[in-house]
Amino acid sequence: MIQFDQVTKRYPGGNEALKNLSFAIDSGEMVFLAGHSGAGKSTLLKLIAGIERATSGGVLVNGQNLSKLRPSQLPYVRQHIGLVFQDHKILFDRPVFDNVMLPLNIIGFDRRDAAKRVRAALDKVGLLGKEKSMPIHLSGGEQQRLCIARAVVHRPSILLADEPSANLDRAYALDIMELFKSFHQVGVTVVISAHDETLMEDYGRRIIRLREGQFAA
Amino acid sequence: MKHFLYLHLLSARQALVKILRQPFGSLLSLLMLSVALALPLALYLGVESTQAWVGKLTATPQISLFMELSAEDADLAAVKSSLAGNPKVKSVSFVSKAEALAGLEKRNGLDGLAADLDSNPLPDAFVVTPVTLEPGELEMLQKELSGLPMVESAQFDASWAKRLYGMVELVRHLTLFLGAALGLALVLVTHNTIRMQILAHRDEIEVSKLIGASDNFIRRPFLYHALWQGILAGLIAWGLTGWLVATANPAVREFAQLYNEQLELRTLTPFELLAMLAATGVLAMLGARLAANHHLRQIEPH
Ligand SMILES: Nc1ncnc2c1ncn2[C@@H]1O[C@H](COP(=O)(O)OP(=O)(O)OP(=O)(O)O)[C@@H](O)[C@H]1O
Ligand SMILES: [Mg+2]
Repeated sequence: MIQFDQVTKRYPGGNEALKNLSFAIDSGEMVFLAGHSGAGKSTLLKLIAGIERATSGGVLVNGQNLSKLRPSQLPYVRQHIGLVFQDHKILFDRPVFDNVMLPLNIIGFDRRDAAKRVRAALDKVGLLGKEKSMPIHLSGGEQQRLCIARAVVHRPSILLADEPSANLDRAYALDIMELFKSFHQVGVTVVISAHDETLMEDYGRRIIRLREGQFAA
Repeated sequence: MKHFLYLHLLSARQALVKILRQPFGSLLSLLMLSVALALPLALYLGVESTQAWVGKLTATPQISLFMELSAEDADLAAVKSSLAGNPKVKSVSFVSKAEALAGLEKRNGLDGLAADLDSNPLPDAFVVTPVTLEPGELEMLQKELSGLPMVESAQFDASWAKRLYGMVELVRHLTLFLGAALGLALVLVTHNTIRMQILAHRDEIEVSKLIGASDNFIRRPFLYHALWQGILAGLIAWGLTGWLVATANPAVREFAQLYNEQLELRTLTPFELLAMLAATGVLAMLGARLAANHHLRQIEPH
Protein backbone atom coordinates (compact mmCIF):
# COMPACT_ATOMS: atom_id res chain seq x y z
CA MET A 1 0.00 0.00 0.00
CA ILE A 2 1.25 3.44 -1.00
CA GLN A 3 -0.32 6.61 0.33
CA PHE A 4 0.49 10.28 -0.30
CA ASP A 5 -0.88 12.74 2.19
CA GLN A 6 -0.70 16.40 1.05
CA VAL A 7 2.75 15.89 -0.35
CA THR A 8 4.75 18.80 -1.66
CA LYS A 9 8.21 18.44 -3.14
CA ARG A 10 10.32 21.50 -3.70
CA TYR A 11 13.79 21.00 -5.14
CA PRO A 12 16.69 23.14 -3.99
CA GLY A 13 16.41 26.29 -6.07
CA GLY A 14 12.70 26.63 -5.42
CA ASN A 15 11.39 24.39 -8.19
CA GLU A 16 8.10 22.93 -6.97
CA ALA A 17 7.81 19.51 -8.65
CA LEU A 18 4.78 18.22 -6.71
CA LYS A 19 2.10 20.41 -5.14
CA ASN A 20 -0.01 19.19 -2.25
CA LEU A 21 -0.77 15.74 -3.71
CA SER A 22 -2.92 13.17 -1.90
CA PHE A 23 -3.76 9.72 -3.26
CA ALA A 24 -3.48 6.03 -2.43
CA ILE A 25 -2.46 2.92 -4.35
CA ASP A 26 -3.68 -0.41 -2.99
CA SER A 27 -1.45 -3.41 -2.49
CA GLY A 28 -1.40 -5.50 -5.62
CA GLU A 29 -2.84 -2.71 -7.76
CA MET A 30 -1.44 -1.83 -11.18
CA VAL A 31 -1.48 1.92 -11.82
CA PHE A 32 -0.30 4.16 -14.64
CA LEU A 33 1.25 7.56 -14.16
CA ALA A 34 0.80 9.94 -17.08
CA GLY A 35 1.93 13.45 -17.82
CA HIS A 36 4.10 15.55 -20.06
CA SER A 37 7.76 16.08 -19.56
CA GLY A 38 8.38 17.93 -16.32
CA ALA A 39 4.97 17.05 -14.86
CA GLY A 40 6.59 15.35 -11.86
CA LYS A 41 6.32 11.64 -12.70
CA SER A 42 9.91 10.75 -11.84
CA THR A 43 9.76 12.86 -8.71
CA LEU A 44 6.66 11.00 -7.52
CA LEU A 45 8.31 7.62 -8.07
CA LYS A 46 11.49 8.75 -6.31
CA LEU A 47 9.45 9.81 -3.30
CA ILE A 48 7.90 6.34 -3.09
CA ALA A 49 11.34 4.76 -3.25
CA GLY A 50 12.76 7.13 -0.65
CA ILE A 51 15.34 8.43 -3.12
CA GLU A 52 14.00 11.96 -2.68
CA ARG A 53 12.23 13.17 0.43
CA ALA A 54 9.00 15.16 0.62
CA THR A 55 9.36 18.82 1.56
CA SER A 56 6.06 18.53 3.44
CA GLY A 57 3.33 15.95 3.85
CA GLY A 58 3.46 12.22 4.50
CA VAL A 59 4.56 9.39 2.19
CA LEU A 60 3.43 6.00 3.48
CA VAL A 61 4.92 2.87 1.95
CA ASN A 62 4.08 -0.56 3.35
CA GLY A 63 2.85 1.05 6.55
CA GLN A 64 5.97 3.16 7.11
CA ASN A 65 5.94 6.93 6.96
CA LEU A 66 9.08 7.69 4.99
CA SER A 67 9.01 11.33 6.07
CA LYS A 68 9.59 10.20 9.63
CA LEU A 69 12.42 7.75 8.92
CA ARG A 70 16.03 8.62 9.51
CA PRO A 71 18.11 8.82 6.29
CA SER A 72 20.05 5.75 7.40
CA GLN A 73 16.81 3.71 7.38
CA LEU A 74 15.77 4.61 3.84
CA PRO A 75 18.05 2.03 2.13
CA TYR A 76 16.10 -0.77 3.80
CA VAL A 77 12.85 0.64 2.38
CA ARG A 78 14.41 0.56 -1.08
CA GLN A 79 15.35 -3.08 -0.67
CA HIS A 80 11.65 -3.98 -0.81
CA ILE A 81 11.04 -1.99 -3.95
CA GLY A 82 11.99 -2.79 -7.53
CA LEU A 83 13.01 0.21 -9.59
CA VAL A 84 13.28 0.59 -13.35
CA PHE A 85 15.04 3.91 -13.79
CA GLN A 86 14.25 6.35 -16.56
CA ASP A 87 17.97 6.59 -17.34
CA HIS A 88 18.48 2.83 -16.84
CA LYS A 89 21.50 3.06 -14.49
CA ILE A 90 23.07 0.00 -16.04
CA LEU A 91 26.68 -0.71 -15.04
CA PHE A 92 28.53 -1.05 -18.33
CA ASP A 93 31.73 -2.37 -16.79
CA ARG A 94 30.28 -5.83 -16.08
CA PRO A 95 28.21 -8.46 -17.86
CA VAL A 96 24.43 -8.75 -17.79
CA PHE A 97 24.54 -11.45 -15.13
CA ASP A 98 26.47 -9.29 -12.66
CA ASN A 99 24.14 -6.35 -13.21
CA VAL A 100 21.18 -8.47 -12.22
CA MET A 101 23.11 -9.94 -9.28
CA LEU A 102 23.65 -6.53 -7.69
CA PRO A 103 20.39 -6.28 -5.68
CA LEU A 104 20.91 -9.80 -4.31
CA ASN A 105 24.41 -8.89 -3.15
CA ILE A 106 22.99 -5.88 -1.39
CA ILE A 107 20.39 -7.82 0.54
CA GLY A 108 22.99 -10.47 1.26
CA PHE A 109 21.35 -13.34 -0.55
CA ASP A 110 23.03 -16.75 -0.33
CA ARG A 111 25.38 -17.02 -3.29
CA ARG A 112 24.26 -20.32 -4.79
CA ASP A 113 20.58 -19.50 -4.59
CA ALA A 114 21.37 -16.05 -5.96
CA ALA A 115 22.69 -17.44 -9.25
CA LYS A 116 19.45 -19.40 -9.70
CA ARG A 117 17.41 -16.30 -8.97
CA VAL A 118 19.39 -14.26 -11.47
CA ARG A 119 18.83 -16.85 -14.20
CA ALA A 120 15.14 -17.05 -13.37
CA ALA A 121 14.83 -13.26 -13.69
CA LEU A 122 16.77 -13.22 -16.97
CA ASP A 123 14.61 -16.04 -18.28
CA LYS A 124 11.49 -14.11 -17.36
CA VAL A 125 12.54 -11.11 -19.47
CA GLY A 126 13.90 -13.28 -22.29
CA LEU A 127 17.60 -12.53 -21.79
CA LEU A 128 18.80 -15.89 -20.53
CA GLY A 129 21.02 -16.42 -23.57
CA LYS A 130 22.75 -13.09 -22.97
CA GLU A 131 23.85 -13.44 -19.37
CA LYS A 132 27.52 -13.24 -20.29
CA SER A 133 27.12 -10.35 -22.74
CA MET A 134 28.31 -6.89 -21.88
CA PRO A 135 25.38 -4.45 -21.68
CA ILE A 136 26.88 -2.23 -24.38
CA HIS A 137 26.22 -5.01 -26.89
CA LEU A 138 22.48 -5.11 -26.08
CA SER A 139 19.84 -3.30 -28.10
CA GLY A 140 17.81 -0.53 -26.46
CA GLY A 141 14.92 -2.90 -25.83
CA GLU A 142 17.22 -5.54 -24.38
CA GLN A 143 18.77 -2.97 -22.06
CA GLN A 144 15.29 -2.10 -20.89
CA ARG A 145 14.64 -5.76 -20.17
CA LEU A 146 17.91 -5.98 -18.27
CA CYS A 147 16.67 -3.13 -16.06
CA ILE A 148 13.44 -4.98 -15.45
CA ALA A 149 15.26 -8.19 -14.55
CA ARG A 150 17.39 -6.26 -12.04
CA ALA A 151 14.27 -4.61 -10.60
CA VAL A 152 12.47 -7.91 -9.96
CA VAL A 153 15.29 -10.33 -9.12
CA HIS A 154 14.86 -9.84 -5.36
CA ARG A 155 11.05 -10.26 -5.65
CA PRO A 156 10.00 -6.85 -4.34
CA SER A 157 6.44 -6.21 -3.24
CA ILE A 158 6.37 -2.93 -5.15
CA LEU A 159 7.63 -2.41 -8.70
CA LEU A 160 8.13 1.14 -9.96
CA ALA A 161 8.91 1.66 -13.65
CA ASP A 162 9.83 5.11 -14.94
CA GLU A 163 8.98 5.29 -18.66
CA PRO A 164 9.97 1.71 -19.39
CA SER A 165 8.61 1.84 -22.93
CA ALA A 166 10.16 5.12 -24.00
CA ASN A 167 11.96 4.94 -27.36
CA LEU A 168 10.61 1.45 -28.12
CA ASP A 169 8.38 0.62 -31.06
CA ARG A 170 4.80 -0.15 -30.23
CA ALA A 171 5.05 -3.94 -30.51
CA TYR A 172 8.07 -4.06 -28.24
CA ALA A 173 6.44 -1.63 -25.81
CA LEU A 174 3.40 -3.91 -25.64
CA ASP A 175 5.67 -6.87 -24.84
CA ILE A 176 7.14 -4.92 -21.96
CA MET A 177 3.67 -3.98 -20.70
CA GLU A 178 2.67 -7.64 -20.77
CA LEU A 179 5.71 -8.39 -18.66
CA PHE A 180 4.61 -5.88 -16.01
CA LYS A 181 1.10 -7.30 -16.14
CA SER A 182 2.51 -10.73 -15.31
CA PHE A 183 4.21 -9.33 -12.19
CA HIS A 184 0.94 -7.64 -11.23
CA GLN A 185 -0.82 -10.97 -11.64
CA VAL A 186 1.39 -12.58 -8.99
CA GLY A 187 0.47 -9.87 -6.50
CA VAL A 188 3.11 -7.20 -6.98
CA THR A 189 2.03 -3.56 -6.73
CA VAL A 190 3.04 -2.01 -10.06
CA VAL A 191 3.35 1.69 -10.91
CA ILE A 192 4.34 2.57 -14.47
CA SER A 193 4.90 6.06 -15.81
CA ALA A 194 4.76 7.12 -19.44
CA HIS A 195 4.34 10.14 -21.68
CA ASP A 196 2.13 8.41 -24.05
CA GLU A 197 -1.33 7.46 -22.84
CA THR A 198 -2.40 5.38 -25.82
CA LEU A 199 -0.60 2.30 -24.48
CA MET A 200 -2.21 2.63 -21.06
CA GLU A 201 -5.74 3.00 -22.28
CA ASP A 202 -5.73 -0.53 -23.70
CA TYR A 203 -5.22 -1.94 -20.23
CA GLY A 204 -8.22 -0.41 -18.51
CA ARG A 205 -6.27 0.39 -15.35
CA ARG A 206 -6.37 3.48 -13.21
CA ILE A 207 -4.36 6.35 -14.64
CA ILE A 208 -2.97 9.09 -12.42
CA ARG A 209 -2.54 12.14 -14.65
CA LEU A 210 -0.11 14.83 -13.58
CA ARG A 211 0.39 18.33 -14.90
CA GLU A 212 2.93 20.68 -13.34
CA GLY A 213 2.95 18.71 -10.12
CA GLN A 214 -0.83 18.54 -9.69
CA PHE A 215 -3.59 16.18 -10.80
CA ALA A 216 -4.69 16.97 -14.32
CA ALA A 217 -8.44 17.08 -14.97
CA MET B 1 24.13 -12.94 13.32
CA LYS B 2 25.48 -15.84 11.30
CA HIS B 3 24.39 -14.07 8.17
CA PHE B 4 26.12 -10.90 9.31
CA LEU B 5 29.39 -12.77 9.87
CA TYR B 6 29.02 -14.47 6.51
CA LEU B 7 28.70 -11.10 4.78
CA HIS B 8 31.80 -9.84 6.55
CA LEU B 9 33.82 -12.89 5.67
CA LEU B 10 32.72 -12.56 2.08
CA SER B 11 33.74 -8.89 1.99
CA ALA B 12 37.08 -9.63 3.60
CA ARG B 13 37.84 -12.37 1.09
CA GLN B 14 36.79 -10.34 -1.90
CA ALA B 15 38.89 -7.43 -0.72
CA LEU B 16 41.96 -9.64 -0.32
CA VAL B 17 41.54 -11.17 -3.76
CA LYS B 18 41.17 -7.72 -5.22
CA ILE B 19 44.24 -6.37 -3.47
CA LEU B 20 46.34 -9.26 -4.76
CA ARG B 21 45.04 -8.76 -8.27
CA GLN B 22 45.42 -5.05 -8.35
CA PRO B 23 47.61 -3.38 -10.92
CA PHE B 24 51.34 -3.49 -10.43
CA GLY B 25 51.36 0.23 -9.67
CA SER B 26 49.28 -0.07 -6.52
CA LEU B 27 51.31 -3.05 -5.34
CA LEU B 28 54.37 -0.90 -5.82
CA SER B 29 52.96 1.81 -3.58
CA LEU B 30 52.17 -0.86 -1.00
CA LEU B 31 55.76 -2.05 -1.21
CA MET B 32 57.05 1.48 -0.85
CA LEU B 33 54.99 1.90 2.27
CA SER B 34 56.34 -1.36 3.66
CA VAL B 35 59.93 -0.31 3.07
CA ALA B 36 59.21 2.96 4.84
CA LEU B 37 57.65 1.08 7.75
CA ALA B 38 60.63 -1.27 7.91
CA LEU B 39 62.86 1.66 8.83
CA PRO B 40 61.41 2.51 12.27
CA LEU B 41 60.86 -1.18 12.86
CA ALA B 42 64.55 -1.95 12.29
CA LEU B 43 65.54 0.96 14.50
CA TYR B 44 63.21 -0.26 17.19
CA LEU B 45 64.74 -3.73 17.09
CA GLY B 46 68.23 -2.27 17.11
CA VAL B 47 67.46 -0.18 20.16
CA GLU B 48 65.65 -3.00 21.94
CA SER B 49 68.48 -5.44 21.28
CA THR B 50 71.38 -3.23 22.29
CA GLN B 51 69.86 -1.25 25.10
CA ALA B 52 70.49 -3.76 27.87
CA TRP B 53 73.99 -4.37 26.66
CA VAL B 54 74.85 -0.72 26.39
CA GLY B 55 73.40 -0.17 29.83
CA LYS B 56 75.68 -2.84 31.20
CA LEU B 57 78.66 -1.27 29.49
CA THR B 58 77.97 1.99 31.22
CA ALA B 59 77.41 0.32 34.53
CA THR B 60 80.67 -1.68 34.41
CA PRO B 61 83.24 0.63 32.96
CA GLN B 62 86.55 -0.73 31.83
CA ILE B 63 89.98 0.81 31.56
CA SER B 64 92.15 -0.21 28.62
CA LEU B 65 95.83 -0.11 29.37
CA PHE B 66 97.96 0.15 26.24
CA MET B 67 101.63 -0.74 26.60
CA GLU B 68 104.51 0.96 24.84
CA LEU B 69 105.38 -0.79 21.59
CA SER B 70 108.83 -1.52 22.93
CA ALA B 71 107.54 -3.25 26.07
CA GLU B 72 109.22 -6.57 26.79
CA ASP B 73 107.77 -9.68 28.39
CA ALA B 74 109.34 -8.67 31.68
CA ASP B 75 107.54 -5.31 31.55
CA LEU B 76 104.26 -7.07 30.89
CA ALA B 77 104.81 -9.40 33.81
CA ALA B 78 105.57 -6.44 36.06
CA VAL B 79 102.41 -4.61 35.09
CA LYS B 80 100.43 -7.81 35.41
CA SER B 81 101.59 -8.50 38.92
CA SER B 82 101.07 -4.89 39.99
CA LEU B 83 97.49 -5.03 38.64
CA ALA B 84 96.89 -8.35 40.37
CA GLY B 85 98.01 -6.81 43.66
CA ASN B 86 95.88 -3.71 43.27
CA PRO B 87 92.77 -3.88 45.53
CA LYS B 88 90.90 -1.43 43.29
CA VAL B 89 91.11 -3.82 40.35
CA LYS B 90 88.44 -6.48 40.10
CA SER B 91 89.67 -8.43 37.10
CA VAL B 92 92.15 -8.15 34.26
CA SER B 93 92.26 -9.66 30.82
CA PHE B 94 95.24 -9.50 28.52
CA VAL B 95 95.09 -8.93 24.76
CA SER B 96 98.49 -9.49 23.19
CA LYS B 97 99.59 -7.51 20.14
CA ALA B 98 99.49 -10.72 18.11
CA GLU B 99 95.88 -11.40 19.14
CA ALA B 100 94.95 -7.82 18.39
CA LEU B 101 96.44 -8.06 14.89
CA ALA B 102 94.79 -11.41 14.23
CA GLY B 103 91.47 -9.94 15.33
CA LEU B 104 91.94 -6.98 13.04
CA GLU B 105 92.73 -9.26 10.10
CA LYS B 106 89.71 -11.38 10.75
CA ARG B 107 87.32 -8.52 11.30
CA ASN B 108 88.29 -6.65 8.22
CA GLY B 109 88.99 -9.60 5.98
CA LEU B 110 92.59 -8.49 5.56
CA ASP B 111 94.16 -11.91 5.40
CA GLY B 112 97.91 -11.82 5.14
CA LEU B 113 98.11 -8.34 6.63
CA ALA B 114 100.54 -9.57 9.27
CA ALA B 115 102.80 -11.09 6.63
CA ASP B 116 102.93 -7.81 4.73
CA LEU B 117 103.95 -5.82 7.75
CA ASP B 118 107.57 -5.81 8.92
CA SER B 119 106.50 -5.47 12.50
CA ASN B 120 103.22 -5.50 14.37
CA PRO B 121 102.11 -1.86 14.83
CA LEU B 122 99.63 -2.71 17.56
CA PRO B 123 100.41 -2.53 21.26
CA ASP B 124 99.84 -5.15 23.93
CA ALA B 125 96.91 -4.23 26.11
CA PHE B 126 95.31 -5.03 29.46
CA VAL B 127 91.56 -4.61 29.92
CA VAL B 128 90.97 -3.72 33.54
CA THR B 129 87.59 -3.99 35.23
CA PRO B 130 87.65 -1.79 38.32
CA VAL B 131 85.88 -2.55 41.58
CA THR B 132 84.34 0.89 41.86
CA LEU B 133 81.64 2.45 39.71
CA GLU B 134 82.05 5.94 41.06
CA PRO B 135 83.29 8.34 38.32
CA GLY B 136 85.70 10.29 40.58
CA GLU B 137 87.44 7.16 41.87
CA LEU B 138 87.54 5.75 38.38
CA GLU B 139 89.39 8.78 37.18
CA MET B 140 91.93 8.44 39.98
CA LEU B 141 92.46 4.80 39.14
CA GLN B 142 92.93 5.70 35.48
CA LYS B 143 95.64 8.21 36.44
CA GLU B 144 97.29 5.72 38.76
CA LEU B 145 97.37 2.99 36.10
CA SER B 146 98.72 5.29 33.40
CA GLY B 147 101.66 5.93 35.68
CA LEU B 148 102.77 2.26 35.65
CA PRO B 149 106.08 1.58 33.92
CA MET B 150 106.02 1.10 30.15
CA VAL B 151 102.29 1.97 29.98
CA GLU B 152 101.61 4.22 27.04
CA SER B 153 98.12 5.24 27.96
CA ALA B 154 95.13 4.26 30.05
CA GLN B 155 91.78 4.79 28.36
CA PHE B 156 88.61 5.00 30.28
CA ASP B 157 86.01 3.13 28.21
CA ALA B 158 83.00 4.39 30.09
CA SER B 159 83.18 7.71 28.29
CA TRP B 160 82.43 6.24 24.90
CA ALA B 161 79.99 3.82 26.47
CA LYS B 162 78.15 6.81 27.86
CA ARG B 163 78.19 8.43 24.46
CA LEU B 164 76.91 5.19 22.96
CA TYR B 165 74.18 5.09 25.56
CA GLY B 166 73.21 8.64 24.72
CA MET B 167 73.15 7.74 21.06
CA VAL B 168 70.90 4.77 21.66
CA GLU B 169 68.54 7.06 23.55
CA LEU B 170 68.58 9.44 20.62
CA VAL B 171 67.85 6.64 18.19
CA ARG B 172 65.02 5.57 20.41
CA HIS B 173 63.44 8.98 20.20
CA LEU B 174 64.02 8.98 16.49
CA THR B 175 62.26 5.63 16.28
CA LEU B 176 59.22 6.99 18.07
CA PHE B 177 59.16 10.04 15.87
CA LEU B 178 59.62 8.03 12.66
CA GLY B 179 57.02 5.52 13.79
CA ALA B 180 54.50 8.29 14.38
CA ALA B 181 55.34 9.98 11.09
CA LEU B 182 54.99 6.76 9.13
CA GLY B 183 51.77 5.91 10.96
CA LEU B 184 50.45 9.20 9.67
CA ALA B 185 51.82 8.37 6.21
CA LEU B 186 49.94 5.07 6.35
CA VAL B 187 46.71 6.92 7.12
CA LEU B 188 47.28 9.37 4.29
CA VAL B 189 48.33 6.77 1.74
CA THR B 190 45.28 4.59 2.43
CA HIS B 191 43.10 7.68 2.41
CA ASN B 192 44.35 8.38 -1.07
CA THR B 193 44.07 4.78 -2.29
CA ILE B 194 40.51 4.54 -1.06
CA ARG B 195 39.60 7.95 -2.44
CA MET B 196 40.77 6.86 -5.89
CA GLN B 197 38.86 3.61 -5.58
CA ILE B 198 35.67 5.37 -4.57
CA LEU B 199 35.99 7.70 -7.52
CA ALA B 200 36.66 4.75 -9.82
CA HIS B 201 33.55 2.97 -8.51
CA ARG B 202 31.34 6.03 -8.55
CA ASP B 203 28.70 4.53 -10.85
CA GLU B 204 28.52 1.28 -8.95
CA ILE B 205 28.18 3.14 -5.67
CA GLU B 206 25.44 5.38 -7.04
CA VAL B 207 23.42 2.47 -8.45
CA SER B 208 23.93 0.43 -5.29
CA LYS B 209 22.65 3.28 -3.17
CA LEU B 210 19.65 3.72 -5.45
CA ILE B 211 18.63 0.09 -5.08
CA GLY B 212 18.99 -0.06 -1.34
CA ALA B 213 22.62 -0.37 -0.27
CA SER B 214 23.28 1.14 3.15
CA ASP B 215 26.33 3.27 3.82
CA ASN B 216 27.80 0.43 5.84
CA PHE B 217 27.38 -1.96 2.93
CA ILE B 218 29.11 0.46 0.60
CA ARG B 219 31.91 1.25 3.00
CA ARG B 220 32.59 -2.37 3.94
CA PRO B 221 34.69 -3.46 0.93
CA PHE B 222 36.76 -0.30 1.11
CA LEU B 223 37.42 -0.75 4.82
CA TYR B 224 38.46 -4.35 4.29
CA HIS B 225 40.66 -3.31 1.41
CA ALA B 226 42.36 -0.83 3.71
CA LEU B 227 42.63 -3.37 6.51
CA TRP B 228 44.41 -5.84 4.24
CA GLN B 229 46.60 -3.12 2.87
CA GLY B 230 47.66 -2.17 6.39
CA ILE B 231 48.26 -5.77 7.41
CA LEU B 232 50.15 -6.60 4.22
CA ALA B 233 52.32 -3.51 4.58
CA GLY B 234 53.05 -4.54 8.17
CA LEU B 235 53.85 -8.11 7.16
CA ILE B 236 56.16 -7.07 4.35
CA ALA B 237 57.92 -4.61 6.68
CA TRP B 238 58.29 -7.45 9.19
CA GLY B 239 59.77 -9.71 6.50
CA LEU B 240 62.19 -6.99 5.43
CA THR B 241 63.44 -6.36 8.94
CA GLY B 242 63.70 -10.10 9.56
CA TRP B 243 65.96 -10.32 6.54
CA LEU B 244 67.91 -7.26 7.66
CA VAL B 245 68.44 -8.69 11.14
CA ALA B 246 69.55 -12.03 9.74
CA THR B 247 72.08 -10.32 7.48
CA ALA B 248 73.38 -7.96 10.12
CA ASN B 249 73.64 -10.46 12.95
CA PRO B 250 76.95 -12.18 12.02
CA ALA B 251 78.66 -8.79 11.97
CA VAL B 252 76.99 -7.74 15.21
CA ARG B 253 78.00 -10.96 16.91
CA GLU B 254 81.59 -10.54 15.85
CA PHE B 255 81.64 -6.95 16.96
CA ALA B 256 80.35 -7.98 20.37
CA GLN B 257 82.93 -10.73 20.65
CA LEU B 258 85.67 -8.12 20.51
CA TYR B 259 84.47 -7.12 23.94
CA ASN B 260 83.80 -10.65 25.03
CA GLU B 261 80.11 -9.91 24.98
CA GLN B 262 77.12 -11.76 23.61
CA LEU B 263 75.05 -9.51 21.44
CA GLU B 264 72.50 -10.24 18.78
CA LEU B 265 69.72 -8.27 17.14
CA ARG B 266 66.42 -9.89 17.85
CA THR B 267 63.28 -10.10 15.74
CA LEU B 268 59.78 -9.20 16.86
CA THR B 269 58.11 -11.34 19.49
CA PRO B 270 54.77 -12.81 18.41
CA PHE B 271 53.03 -10.31 20.65
CA GLU B 272 54.92 -7.38 19.16
CA LEU B 273 54.15 -8.62 15.66
CA LEU B 274 50.44 -8.86 16.45
CA ALA B 275 50.46 -5.43 18.05
CA MET B 276 52.18 -3.95 15.03
CA LEU B 277 49.78 -5.59 12.55
CA ALA B 278 46.85 -4.39 14.65
CA ALA B 279 48.29 -0.88 14.59
CA THR B 280 48.92 -0.81 10.82
CA GLY B 281 45.50 -2.37 10.19
CA VAL B 282 43.68 0.14 12.37
CA LEU B 283 45.58 3.12 10.96
CA ALA B 284 44.81 2.04 7.41
CA MET B 285 41.13 1.60 8.26
CA LEU B 286 41.12 5.03 9.81
CA GLY B 287 42.41 6.50 6.54
CA ALA B 288 39.79 4.57 4.58
CA ARG B 289 37.01 5.63 6.91
CA LEU B 290 37.93 9.28 6.55
CA ALA B 291 38.04 8.98 2.78
CA ALA B 292 34.75 7.07 2.65
CA ASN B 293 32.94 9.51 4.91
CA HIS B 294 34.11 12.40 2.83
CA HIS B 295 33.57 11.04 -0.66
CA LEU B 296 30.49 8.87 -0.22
CA ARG B 297 28.60 11.93 0.93
CA GLN B 298 29.18 13.47 -2.48
CA ILE B 299 27.45 10.66 -4.33
CA GLU B 300 23.64 10.88 -4.75
CA PRO B 301 21.24 9.86 -3.35
CA HIS B 302 21.95 10.98 0.17
N1 LIG C 1 17.17 17.20 -8.98
C1 LIG C 1 16.38 18.22 -9.36
N2 LIG C 1 16.70 19.48 -8.99
C2 LIG C 1 15.91 20.53 -9.34
N3 LIG C 1 14.80 20.38 -10.05
C3 LIG C 1 14.42 19.15 -10.45
C4 LIG C 1 15.21 18.01 -10.12
N4 LIG C 1 14.60 16.92 -10.64
C5 LIG C 1 13.50 17.36 -11.26
N5 LIG C 1 13.39 18.70 -11.16
C6 LIG C 1 12.30 19.54 -11.68
O1 LIG C 1 11.08 19.04 -11.18
C7 LIG C 1 10.09 19.03 -12.16
C8 LIG C 1 9.54 17.61 -12.34
O2 LIG C 1 10.58 16.79 -12.83
P1 LIG C 1 10.40 15.25 -13.08
O3 LIG C 1 11.72 14.71 -13.45
O4 LIG C 1 9.71 14.66 -11.93
O5 LIG C 1 9.44 15.27 -14.34
P2 LIG C 1 8.97 14.04 -15.25
O6 LIG C 1 7.49 14.07 -15.25
O7 LIG C 1 9.62 12.80 -14.83
O8 LIG C 1 9.51 14.48 -16.67
P3 LIG C 1 10.08 13.57 -17.84
O9 LIG C 1 8.88 12.98 -18.53
O10 LIG C 1 10.81 14.51 -18.72
O11 LIG C 1 10.94 12.55 -17.22
C9 LIG C 1 10.75 19.57 -13.43
O12 LIG C 1 10.41 20.93 -13.52
C10 LIG C 1 12.20 19.43 -13.18
O13 LIG C 1 12.94 20.46 -13.77
MG1 LIG D 1 10.91 11.49 -15.60
